[in-house]
Amino acid sequence: MREADWKDRILVVLGRQWAVRVSGNSMCPELEDGDIILVRRVRDLGVGDIVLAAHPFKKSVTMLKRIAAIDAAGRMELLGDDPDESSDSRSFGNIPVEHIRGKAVCRLKHEDDKKSAREKHERHEI
Amino acid sequence: MFERFKMSAVEVAEAHCDGPCGVYDPAQARIEAESLLQLTKKILDLKVPDTGDQKAGTAYQNTLTRFIVIKEERAELAKHHLLVLWTDYFKPQHLEKYPDLHDLFWKSAKLCSAVKQEISLEHAEELMDNIKRVHEIFWETKGKDVPWYTAS
Repeated sequence: MREADWKDRILVVLGRQWAVRVSGNSMCPELEDGDIILVRRVRDLGVGDIVLAAHPFKKSVTMLKRIAAIDAAGRMELLGDDPDESSDSRSFGNIPVEHIRGKAVCRLKHEDDKKSAREKHERHEI
Repeated sequence: MFERFKMSAVEVAEAHCDGPCGVYDPAQARIEAESLLQLTKKILDLKVPDTGDQKAGTAYQNTLTRFIVIKEERAELAKHHLLVLWTDYFKPQHLEKYPDLHDLFWKSAKLCSAVKQEISLEHAEELMDNIKRVHEIFWETKGKDVPWYTAS
């Protein structure tokens, strides 16, 4: 996922995007626990997009999952990138598009910048 | 401005399963394997009483039975903790870096069974060696330097 730039920050100030903190590891390695991402309301959603969605059975829970498929009725199959760490459409089924609150567009903050730097160092990239 | 923003009005979205504690540690398997090693030593060191001494014979049977029962339980627990690490914690990306991972866990689980079935100091020590390797790999994946230690 790309990093947020100054345009993204302006869109936040204008209320067109908002920040969401990731809790959990079901979207690893794309998103890690503690990452802060920016989410935007969009009309055109497609397979492969990471979306912020309301949980179909838990009103207070919103979740981040990837659209794996869209069925003939327009319902979204949402899956975590890491199936071992994810509760998703495999357990609660496909969900209607009304449950989708927005699409993850960029990362504002990576939770483990030190770790990333260390990994790059180990790969002799820095 | 954005730093303050990050710390305050940020919505939280869940990206996990229904019951994730996310806490794993090979120490659980290590403690059980250590018990297996000590129990194996104790069984091997147990002196068989002279025939005819009924009281000593009964005490021997009682102690041996207790050692065996505990060894059976601990072997199952060691295997359980290893399988949790193998199936829940380790991911395909770990396998890319540690291609012998599946083999390590498979052999370790087999060793748990062997230690349960036999009175084998060799297999009990081999199990400890394998769990030490699991410990090293696990903490490398966590990016933490956690030295290996034993309680006994």
